[in-house]
Amino acid sequence: MVRVEMADTTDVALAAGGDRQAFERLYRTHANRVFSLCARMSGSRAKGEELTQDVFVRTWEKLPQFRGESAFSTWLHRLAVNVVLNARKSEGKQASRTDQSDVDDERWDEVARAPLYIERMDLTEAISKLPAGARKVFVLHDVEGYKHEEIGEMLGITSGGSKAQLHRARLLLREALER
Amino acid sequence: MTTSKMTCEAFDAALSDYLEGTLDDSARASVERHLSECLRCSALVRDLENIRKNASMLPDLVPSRDLWQGIEARIAAPVIPLAARPERQRRFAPAWMGIAAAALVVSTAGITYTLTSRSVRAGQTGPSAQIVSPDSQAQSGTTTDSGAAPSTTESVNVGGVSAPRSASNSRVPHSDTRIRRASPAASLASQAIADREQSEAVYGKEIDMLQKIVRQRKTQLDSATIAIIEKNLQIIDAAIEQSRAALARDPASQLLGQQLTHALDKKVELLRTAVMLPAST
Repeated sequence: MVRVEMADTTDVALAAGGDRQAFERLYRTHANRVFSLCARMSGSRAKGEELTQDVFVRTWEKLPQFRGESAFSTWLHRLAVNVVLNARKSEGKQASRTDQSDVDDERWDEVARAPLYIERMDLTEAISKLPAGARKVFVLHDVEGYKHEEIGEMLGITSGGSKAQLHRARLLLREALER
Repeated sequence: MTTSKMTCEAFDAALSDYLEGTLDDSARASVERHLSECLRCSALVRDLENIRKNASMLPDLVPSRDLWQGIEARIAAPVIPLAARPERQRRFAPAWMGIAAAALVVSTAGITYTLTSRSVRAGQTGPSAQIVSPDSQAQSGTTTDSGAAPSTTESVNVGGVSAPRSASNSRVPHSDTRIRRASPAASLASQAIADREQSEAVYGKEIDMLQKIVRQRKTQLDSATIAIIEKNLQIIDAAIEQSRAALARDPASQLLGQQLTHALDKKVELLRTAVMLPAST
């Protein structure tokens, strides 16, 4: 990781000066992680690919403003989150309606069950089918490791709201993975 | 299902805080007592923690295709230094772009009229003084010791094709480095046309490349944005056509050539802006 960050530092400086080969190296290093974030947050691989391109175009534009106060990967990741969230703003009301209508009543088995066995592919698929609000919070918190306070700031919600969405997401995932 | 201390409903209400670790000691103790007695709730906690753990270990996904080409196409345009300006272009709001384009049309038309009139009058009064073009001066053997191009010259690289280009956008590369002391008017005119044709070819390639990308991205962009871009392109195209028409009447005019270059620059700039726009969803 240290080696990656050192290589990043050189390439970031070169890319900020307009070196496209250096920028391509940065892309190759970080593309999968950015794509994972974009695909999981948007719930679609195709949309994730489109957003990933937007993220790197935006990164190219913003690179001269990168001050190196955090690791490039951290900065890039946060920029990617912003690109995804801004892209989703245009869906606005539709997304919030989906959030409300998608919630099924929670139903519980009254008997003990075998532990939930989770296949990665199943979990990825189940995440993609979560309502948008719950999916965003789940991906940011449980997959990407952001704190509720950070998520609240990104999404414009309270940290309590973030906690509620996360809990809801986990319950919905459990239900989906039980099937 | 209930236990002596806590009901499952009460447990459900406390579950989120329990998983977050934000319950106080006594509430946490109650939840843990309930968990030790209730199969349903302990299974729920186990599953949710399992989901959280698995989510944190999910491997990166891999795009189905190499996305770099699309990214490179979108960032490539601003790097090509068609004009002596900073690489990172300032951004214009569509409304300002429209105003600028309209102003361009007005100024081009005015200058065209003025210069064409002067040119006609000059032609009627006989041969003018001998003209030495700045480009000829730039090629007069005053290149630096290092062999670098003169400061008025910059290199343009479009799609792998390199062509030198002067600040006046009308320089043709050729091996004759002698000072052109005097040229007949006809020779100057044909030289200017050749210069301009080469300059336009460079712009043409750049514009074609950008237009191709914009066409490919049309479905990703907001329809209102596309409409504004197309409207502004029409205005700029009108300015380009007016400049060309004026140059057809006065081919040797450097000022008209610069007006044409300015209009082509505007077109390239607008297309670059369109290329860089983020996709709408």
